[in-house]
Amino acid sequence: MRRRAVALGISALGVAVGVFTLDVARDDPGYWFAGTSTLAAASLLAAGWALIGCGLGYWLRRPTTLVGPLLCAAGFAWFLPEWNNPGIGSALAFTIGLCLYAACPPLVGHAVLAYPGGRLGSRFERGAVAAAYVGGVLVLGLLPTLVFDPQGQDCNQCPSNLLAVADNGELGSDLDRIGLYVGIAWALALAALAIRRLSRASVWARAVLAAGAAYLGLVAAWFVASLDRGELSNGTLERRLWLIQAATLVALAGGVAWSWVRSRRARSDVARLVVELAQSPPPGGLRDVLAGTVGDPGLTLAYPIDAPGRLVDAQGHPVELDDRREQTTLIRDGRVVAVLSHAPGLLDDEQLVDEVAAAARLALENERLQAEVQARLEELRASRARIVEAGDSERRRLERDLHDGAQQRLVGLSLSLRLASARLAPDTGAEAVASLDEADVELREAIAELRDLAHGLFPAVLADEGLAAAIEALAEDERVPVQIRGLAEGRFAPQVETAAYTVVAEAARASTAGVVVETRRSGHALLVDVETRDDLGLDLVALRDRVGALDGQLAVERDEDGIVTLHAELPCES
Amino acid sequence: MRVVIADDETLLREGLARLLEQAGLQVVGKAATADELVRRVELTRPDVAIVDIKMPPTHTDEGLVAAERIRDSHPEVGVLVLSHYVESRYAMRLLEDHPERSGYLLKERVSDVAVLVDALQRIHEGECVLDPTIVSRLIGRPREGSPLDELTARELEVLSLMAEGHSNEGICKTLFLSPKTVETHVRHILGKLGIGAAPDYHRRVLAVLAYLRG
Repeated sequence: MRRRAVALGISALGVAVGVFTLDVARDDPGYWFAGTSTLAAASLLAAGWALIGCGLGYWLRRPTTLVGPLLCAAGFAWFLPEWNNPGIGSALAFTIGLCLYAACPPLVGHAVLAYPGGRLGSRFERGAVAAAYVGGVLVLGLLPTLVFDPQGQDCNQCPSNLLAVADNGELGSDLDRIGLYVGIAWALALAALAIRRLSRASVWARAVLAAGAAYLGLVAAWFVASLDRGELSNGTLERRLWLIQAATLVALAGGVAWSWVRSRRARSDVARLVVELAQSPPPGGLRDVLAGTVGDPGLTLAYPIDAPGRLVDAQGHPVELDDRREQTTLIRDGRVVAVLSHAPGLLDDEQLVDEVAAAARLALENERLQAEVQARLEELRASRARIVEAGDSERRRLERDLHDGAQQRLVGLSLSLRLASARLAPDTGAEAVASLDEADVELREAIAELRDLAHGLFPAVLADEGLAAAIEALAEDERVPVQIRGLAEGRFAPQVETAAYTVVAEAARASTAGVVVETRRSGHALLVDVETRDDLGLDLVALRDRVGALDGQLAVERDEDGIVTLHAELPCES
Repeated sequence: MRVVIADDETLLREGLARLLEQAGLQVVGKAATADELVRRVELTRPDVAIVDIKMPPTHTDEGLVAAERIRDSHPEVGVLVLSHYVESRYAMRLLEDHPERSGYLLKERVSDVAVLVDALQRIHEGECVLDPTIVSRLIGRPREGSPLDELTARELEVLSLMAEGHSNEGICKTLFLSPKTVETHVRHILGKLGIGAAPDYHRRVLAVLAYLRG
């Protein structure tokens, strides 16, 4: 309540200062800007009052940041170039005018760069703002004032300068000239820094930054135009620049007011979202609404799950937050509910963050739980894939061991047996020769059986030559009637090939009447269709597991003729 | 006949060499890797190179790749690949591009000197050789309403021998039939299966194999 009273007082003061300034300017239209026309008068009042008004509004809403007071002060400073008017009549006003007539641009620059949070970002920004205050208030204002005695400079009409300690017109002009040169530099620097902020800012802050940059650019132009005369003056060009400056300041104030209106709407949007979510929660919908309401399309909403530092999005996918963006943590009952990654300064309004967090509490909680479920499902799928893959690689290893170990040894043994029988004495009994031959036959049968076993564990042709070759090889096996309708050529990821092969091989194994196979590519998926008449021994659960581990689908269709069709759809890269 | 043997398993390599030498063949080189094999072949220009399909470093199909290299650079050198794999796909990789002087036998044939020497002999003479087990799997695979069902037992025998890479003359010797009878069988078989008369022996083998694999 007290703050409101203070604001009311300052508003009244602002109105008074505006009216007083206009009065002075109209008294002596030859000097300065506002006295020449109604447009000029309106511009004077509009820019000054707009800045004071929006500064006070900002201060009331966010009393902890400096932006409001800075804007307000800039509004007052806007009037001051009229006050070093010789016809002003008051020595105090005249002295204030002499000291602070160039204070408005540094204040506006400071406010714009600190917008919306109240903090200056980089060392450059702090340096440029400090240089602007020194240049605008000290070099152009206070220092020349100290050495300016109006009477000594033949200004009989001027009120006295309360701060004059010496009279040195030459030093005063030198300071003015230095101030102009320095002024061009800091005004351009502030404008450039404001433009640099544009890209990182939220949509709502951009209007403020753009208007501020335009204003500071115009100030630099005003300084350049005044270089000839050596002091800030009010020629025709300068008057035009001043009018445009007024327009940019009104726009700036409008931008601040607009973002305030936006944040009010953000609150009602969030409230509406809560109602929407109560009906049908769309996954990820909260992020979209928040991004829209706070005006940052790149906003990321992440939820923490079990392990510290692990964040997932609404779909349960792991999220890495961008270090260059600012992070705001939403905490409820001492527990992190969600983390927002957003444009710097976007959520400096703690009140807004609190309100949004409170309004979206149910929605956040709902989405966080969904995200957690999704993340767990994802983990489950990944672990299923790992188990399947571990099993496959173990089978592959066994297959190789059988081939390269046992089978190779048996072949070697068979060879040794042959060499031994060649060395037998010619008079060896026929019985002994026959039993050696018999052993050799047994050995070869063992080798063939071992080969079958190895192939059953894992068909090497699948890894060497691909899915089509492996299915063709399956069709060569005399035990299983496999009819091939069409095969997708080319290679797929090993786990995709293995899963597709397993579907076909298992269906063939379970069938006695035979199966019909077709594989084909469709977009980013490998489709496998297997028709069979008898699927009684088919372990569909195992096949679903295998296909599901790759995020694929297995559908089973049964038509009235008793033909069962397995449709497997396996995602693949190309 | 001069042969080179490539197998990374010392026991098998040496045993096979001794067995072939006992059978009267001349082993002019032995190699443990694919690169060594190619060097040996260049140095000694054997009649036939015997190559194990699995060789270092990956032990998958290095032998086949080496065989293809030899076929490309020294077409006059025959190649016999010994393999653990009964799938026809591997054999077709070898035979499809260079059917002449190529052979593919299952590894366990090494102890069957007669079959092995016969295969080497046929390869040396320019024929191609395919393991009987692979052929019988191809012929025996279940088919629905296939023209193969219409072949007589004798015709099936002749078809198997054709697929194994035997020439008409070889079929005559194996089945103790007159050349005329064999020719009649071959004509009937090709007619029943709908395979056009192939211009030469090698294309006939490939056509028969393509039919059986299809």
